[in-house]
Amino acid sequence: MASLRCLRELSRRATTVLSINQTRLISSLPISEPCGTTITHATPRSLTRDLPWCNLCSRSQGRHFSSKANDTDESSEGEDDDDDGDDEEEDYEDSAEMEVEREYSPAEKVEAAAEIGYKVMGPLKPSERLFKPYEPVFAVVQIGSHQFKVSNGDSIFTEKLKFCDINDKLVLTKVLLLGSASQTIIGRPILPDATVHAVVEEHALDEKVLIFKKKRRKNYRRTTGHRQELTKLRITDIQGIEKPEPTIVHKPSKAADTEQPEAELVG
Amino acid sequence: MTRIKRGYIARRRRTKLRLFASSFQGAHSRLMRERTMTQQRIRALVSARRDKKKRKRDFRRLWITRINAVIHETEVFYSYNRFIHNLYKKQLLLNRKILAQIALLNRSCLYTISNEIKK
Repeated sequence: MASLRCLRELSRRATTVLSINQTRLISSLPISEPCGTTITHATPRSLTRDLPWCNLCSRSQGRHFSSKANDTDESSEGEDDDDDGDDEEEDYEDSAEMEVEREYSPAEKVEAAAEIGYKVMGPLKPSERLFKPYEPVFAVVQIGSHQFKVSNGDSIFTEKLKFCDINDKLVLTKVLLLGSASQTIIGRPILPDATVHAVVEEHALDEKVLIFKKKRRKNYRRTTGHRQELTKLRITDIQGIEKPEPTIVHKPSKAADTEQPEAELVG
Repeated sequence: MTRIKRGYIARRRRTKLRLFASSFQGAHSRLMRERTMTQQRIRALVSARRDKKKRKRDFRRLWITRINAVIHETEVFYSYNRFIHNLYKKQLLLNRKILAQIALLNRSCLYTISNEIKK
C-alpha cells in the first residue's frame, strides 16, 4: 500500500504549503500547468482536493530517482513530451529482456498482456500539450489489483508497468466509477465507454526498506534490503462524464484586495 | 600477515547506528557502550517488519469503520454488512479503500451508490 516515495512527496508539499499564505487562491489560469496536483495513492488522510493550493508548490526539490532511458528532468511541467527528440520507437521487448524468458516479441501479445494491467499503450508524441487545468471530476480506476481514485493532474505510484516507457501515453481502461459534483456514473463492474488518459512520468525504485528477521535465543538474525520498482503515472484526462464548465469571475481592478475568485460549477 | 589497522570500519558502523537511533527517546538514543542503542535498533526493525503486515489489517479495519459510520446515517436498519452484500449482488468491484475515500470526500456520491444498490 504505502510507497515511501508517496509519503515523502506529501510531507514535502505540506511543508512548502505551510510556508505559503493559503488565503491567496489562484483561479484556473490559462497556463498549461497541472493544477491541483494531489497524490492519491491510498493515503487515508483526506486531502482537501477542492483547493488548488498545490499550484504554488515548487516541484524540483532534489529528487533522487533512477529512471531508465532519457534525461527526463522534472523541472518543467508541460514539456515532458517535447523534451528531446529521443523517441525510442524500437521494439522494447525484443532485444534487452533476457532475464525473464517470455515471448513478448509479437506486438499483439504485448497488447494482450497489457490488458492484465488494464492499460493500453498509446503512441508518444513530443511537442504536444497534454496538461489541462484541474477539473473537479474524479474517476476510480483499477490497475492490477490496486484501485485509485484519480482526478486530472494527479500523480500515482503503481507497480512497475512492463510494457511502457517514459513519456508514454497510456489509456486506463478499467474504470469503475466516474463522479463529479452533479453526476455519478457507476460501472457494473466496469464502465466500457469511460477512459482515463495518463502519461508515464518515471520508472523508479522505491526507498530502501530493511527487512530484519530475528529469532531470539537461537542465534539467528538476518538483514535484507528491498527496493520496490514503481511507475509514476500522471493523469491527464478523464473522459466519459460531463465536466462542469467553470465560470471564472474576473478579479476587480483593485490591487489592494485580493478576492477569492469563485469558479461556479454549472452542473 | 601484514599489519592491518582497522581504520574507520568501526566508526562507520557506529555512525550508522547513531543515525538510525537518533530519533529515539532518552537513553535509547545516547548509550552506545551499554548497548542500549543496538538493542533498541533491533526492536525497532522487528516492530517495523511485524507492523508492515499489520498495517494492511489496520487500514482495512479503519476503512470498514468509516464506511459503516456513513452507511448508518443513510437509513434506519442499514449497515455495513448489508451494504457490502448488496455491493456484491450488483457486481460492483469497488474496494473498501475507495469507498472510504468517497465516504470522506464525496459523501453524496456514496449515497448515490447505496441507493443504486438497494434497488
